[in-house]
Amino acid sequence: MAYKEVEVKQPLMLTILPYVSIIAFFALWELVVQTGFIPDTLLAAPSTVVKTFIVKLHDINPDGATMGTHAWTSIQEAFLGYALSLLIGIPLGLCMGWFKVVEGLCRPIFELIRPIPPIAWIPLTVFWFGIGLTGKVFIIWIAGIVPCVINSWVGVRMTNPTLIQMARTYGASDWQIFTQLCIPSALPMVFGALQLALTYCWTNLVGAELLAADSGLGYLITMGGRVARPDIVVLGMICVGVSGAIIGFVIDQVEKKLLAGIRR
Amino acid sequence: MSNSIANETINHSKNKEPFSIVRLLTNTYFLNAVSLIAFFLLWDYVARERIFHDSLARPLEVVDQIVRLTQIKYAGTNLWGHIWASTQRIVIGFFLAAIVAVPLGLFMALNKYVNAIVKPLFDLFKPMPPIAWCTIAVLWFGIGETSKVFIIIIGSFVPCLLNAYNGVRLVDPELYDVIRVLGGSRRDEIFHVCFPASFPAVFAGLQISLSVAWTCVLAAELVNSREGMGFLIKRGMDTHKPELVLGGMLLIAAAAWLTSQLVSLLERKLCPWKRTIDNL
Amino acid sequence: MNTHNEPILKIRCENVSKTFIQKGNQEVPVIRNVSLDVYENEFLVVLGPGQCGKSTLLKIIAGLEMPDTGFVTLDGEPVTGPGPDRGLVFQSYMLFAWKTVRDNVELGLKLRNVPANERREIAQHYINMVGLQGFEKHYPHQLSGGMKQRVGIARAYANSPKVMLLDEPFGQLDAQTRMFMQKETTRIWEQEKRTVIFVTNNIDEALFLGDRIILMEGKLPGTIKTEYKVDLPRPREHTSMELLQMRAMITDNTELVL
Repeated sequence: MAYKEVEVKQPLMLTILPYVSIIAFFALWELVVQTGFIPDTLLAAPSTVVKTFIVKLHDINPDGATMGTHAWTSIQEAFLGYALSLLIGIPLGLCMGWFKVVEGLCRPIFELIRPIPPIAWIPLTVFWFGIGLTGKVFIIWIAGIVPCVINSWVGVRMTNPTLIQMARTYGASDWQIFTQLCIPSALPMVFGALQLALTYCWTNLVGAELLAADSGLGYLITMGGRVARPDIVVLGMICVGVSGAIIGFVIDQVEKKLLAGIRR
Repeated sequence: MSNSIANETINHSKNKEPFSIVRLLTNTYFLNAVSLIAFFLLWDYVARERIFHDSLARPLEVVDQIVRLTQIKYAGTNLWGHIWASTQRIVIGFFLAAIVAVPLGLFMALNKYVNAIVKPLFDLFKPMPPIAWCTIAVLWFGIGETSKVFIIIIGSFVPCLLNAYNGVRLVDPELYDVIRVLGGSRRDEIFHVCFPASFPAVFAGLQISLSVAWTCVLAAELVNSREGMGFLIKRGMDTHKPELVLGGMLLIAAAAWLTSQLVSLLERKLCPWKRTIDNL
Repeated sequence: MNTHNEPILKIRCENVSKTFIQKGNQEVPVIRNVSLDVYENEFLVVLGPGQCGKSTLLKIIAGLEMPDTGFVTLDGEPVTGPGPDRGLVFQSYMLFAWKTVRDNVELGLKLRNVPANERREIAQHYINMVGLQGFEKHYPHQLSGGMKQRVGIARAYANSPKVMLLDEPFGQLDAQTRMFMQKETTRIWEQEKRTVIFVTNNIDEALFLGDRIILMEGKLPGTIKTEYKVDLPRPREHTSMELLQMRAMITDNTELVL
């Protein structure tokens, strides 16, 4: 029986508790800083962070750029690296799933590079490309390509073999089966990679900017630490979190739209 | 001639075909060998021709550098000391995170009220990349071990908790019916269904946590450290020695791979019933 | 065999109705005003097509769902929840993947704190009964569908319930295995007499197994259409004249497409 009883009413407590929890968290945070329980050289109160945010919208001190510039730099890098990893990773993964030659040639190298944490490439990219845009895009690309390749590859591999044989009996060529059967049936897995790759890209972007950059949200955090301004550090962290969440939400919506498109 | 997986499923019986060039060219082991040899030759060529000037070391130089590190002390300790320094941080941070996060995740899934309190806070912190904590960790705990372990805990915490939580929530509710029909209590449902059923998900979470933990320890060591594999990479960067950077990268990749194999081994030991499900 | 001269009442369903609420507060009446008596050691089959509320009826008897109106009694006592006096066998086996065959069968006894050696003895008895000796240490994923359901049956029996409830237990098996399991079910039932309520959508299965067949209406909300007595000796043959005649009679009376 497919019918499930829906919980008609949820206790009032359960509706209120999440808000209580969030408010309590911020109140406690404000309180421990205001009372001096945690000195303000170590942690900034939420109110201070908000003030700093407003100031940083137009003030370039002490790190050399406004909030908008930092955010724009980061998003630009993230988007370029992400797009490149999708553009290269997905076709590569699909081909690795279908063509034995491609798999035989690419898999060992892929397995060799995969366990290296992407931020370990930072020194080499600094040697090769300097601390500009290219180096960071490279690191984000390395980070994002792994889930793209794996998901597309597994997606093709999971195509129902009976369907492949069916297509064969209808006289479909290898190429036709690949493009008309395997790729469409791999799509849900591929879309799953979109979100995963984004998380990886965003995390490693922050790492790259912390270590080698002259602007960007990660750089803002580093500079905040260097000039001992915890409000800037916390502001940077919150901005990274919020922008990550927003981009993640957008990707999630896109994924849902695309998936609904397939199912129809 | 089989050049796609579709033929592989059909042409099993034709494996005894006579030797031919085409068959050799499509043999997986042959292709793997070709690929690896080509990769290293290309690397060697690029390094030798100095296409990146002096910013890429030849493969043998890297091996030589690693071997040399086992013999001499570098910044106060030899290779094993550096490997152990990073691994120790991972082990401490990873275990502390797992010990708190897994039970908390299970508890959140079992109790609506705990969930209502913890979930919003967790969702607040979840999108923040663990590496973003590096700076504030140094601000709070200085540049010692504590700040590094702290970042590893932050990084490992999220996947551990999330997977334990989802592991319990995705259990087939009819399995609870079995316990109820057999006369079991709520407690029996938790111990006979919830916990064992969420085991594979918990282990998947541990695997993800571990790989995040390696990234975190590396980031922390790159930012500031006096020993560890990240330190080797950082020192290679500062002194412009690509062979040291590449050596450190290889070491950390090997270490990450080994620890993940260890967790898989533990999983196979602890959940013998999952063995063949995996190979599907 | 079927000497119900003075049948003892085991289970009584009185005017049972159940309505589920779907998303959007849409009400789906699943069963309406079902009244049913089941007697001791009777093999009762509830027969009905796809969605006719028969599984829900069984869950209500098991105590997993509460009826909106009416009530269910077992030995005169009202049913208020699930309990070990009713053993349920699930269509999708519902074995614990992390327990061996023996541990799965022992589970009910373990939950009731039966000492380990006694537990093992009882479990072994029922494992032998369903013909799984030698497979005690296997995990469910190493068994075929028919073997899994044997474990499911042994698990329910090991708890020594007064009533066995089987919810389309062979629905996922292939035709061959299914027929074989039907024979096995007859054998086990003759060996260890219990009151059985067996839900199925298969007319042949119903005729082969049941003392009495309750035919449900083919649409929601589920109601009882009619009932048949099958007074034939066991073991029966699917192709015997009497069975085929009854089959024709039931088929005429249903929209079941078989």
